[in-house]
Amino acid sequence: MTHVDVTGEVCPRPALIVRRELSELEEGETLIVEGDYPPAQKNLTRSCEKRGFDVNTIESAENGSFELEITVTEFASIG
Amino acid sequence: MTEPATTEPPRLTEFADLHGCSCKVGQSELDDLLASAGVDEDHPHLLFGVGEDAGARLLSEDLALVQTVDFFTPIVDAPTEFGRIAACNALSDAFATGATANVSCLVVMGLPRELTDVASDILVGMSEALEEVDGAIVGGHTTVNPWPFAGGAITATADPGDLLTSEGASPGDRLFLTKPLGVQAAMGAHRVGSEFEKTVRNAIERPMEEVVSEAIAWMTTPNRDAALAVRDHATACTDVTGFGLLGQARVIAANADVGVEITSLPVIEGTPALSELFGYGLEDGESAETSGGLLVAVSEDEVSAMRTAFDRRDVFAREVGTITTGSGARLVNPTLDPISR
Repeated sequence: MTHVDVTGEVCPRPALIVRRELSELEEGETLIVEGDYPPAQKNLTRSCEKRGFDVNTIESAENGSFELEITVTEFASIG
Repeated sequence: MTEPATTEPPRLTEFADLHGCSCKVGQSELDDLLASAGVDEDHPHLLFGVGEDAGARLLSEDLALVQTVDFFTPIVDAPTEFGRIAACNALSDAFATGATANVSCLVVMGLPRELTDVASDILVGMSEALEEVDGAIVGGHTTVNPWPFAGGAITATADPGDLLTSEGASPGDRLFLTKPLGVQAAMGAHRVGSEFEKTVRNAIERPMEEVVSEAIAWMTTPNRDAALAVRDHATACTDVTGFGLLGQARVIAANADVGVEITSLPVIEGTPALSELFGYGLEDGESAETSGGLLVAVSEDEVSAMRTAFDRRDVFAREVGTITTGSGARLVNPTLDPISR
């Protein structure tokens, strides 16, 4: 399982960092994303789901910190 | 947050984590705040207030005073441009009510100590925008603040009969927008830096600089001419801001007790691909806008006259949807309409 920490990064960089990480993964593999910028959670979820990735929210705290589990499905495309 | 550079001119956007109207507190949080504090619009001589773009008081039979305040963090790095955008954005809330006369601005500005040198350039930009709408800066207040911000408290006057709110929309009305969408994505592309520059450039079929400069051109276009074009014809008006087109359509739906269906999304050419890359939701009508256009409802029998008024004043306008008998706002198979200047 691959892990990327986008803590301290503000949009749109988290989406671009995650995209770069996902481009290295194969179908069935999973990326864990940690971050702390509230809009990034929504933006990452939206951009990944629209590209066919499966997004599971592991943590979503009131202070904005979040942890997402993103899985490469057979339909996923980096675009 | 990236550490601000010290050897080159300061990049204003690096001093804040949220930019432009993306700073806006969410609609539901705002509603909760106002409700918890007991703030409402029940005051003598108040024509409208909380829940609208601006407040309006009846001063005399033929004169209403419109007041509003708006400020935000830098969405661009150049101080003069930032000042122009901040002023146009603050003015827009007054123009959305149809008030365009006696425009005055009290500047509200906060800067970190290391940015105090750019204050005068920000003011120059604001002053230029005020001059363009025959208004003036008449005072203000400045403060030291960790994040830079600028904007203003705006006053303007109007004949009470000319005033518009978001409440007047009726089922059957058609909906128009006076600027294309997409500035959040354009300015996001501007900020990503060299590490992802190639990715961003590869995502769009036109030079990134064109997309950015068009976004800035739209943000620095005051909504006054649009207000003058619509106020004799519209049933309702608001301006598109950090809530995005769909969020602002929801405001009309809630305040007018109607439904809103969005069928077309005029977008700055190139911004949908950028939004998709960043996950901003432009194609869903959810991307934040800064100094966005007026969102105007007009009855069927006034559409032709309003189109003529747009043409006469050389105001951009596109039909984006309709008012229905339902509730809430939704997209209905929207067409993306790419716009280039």
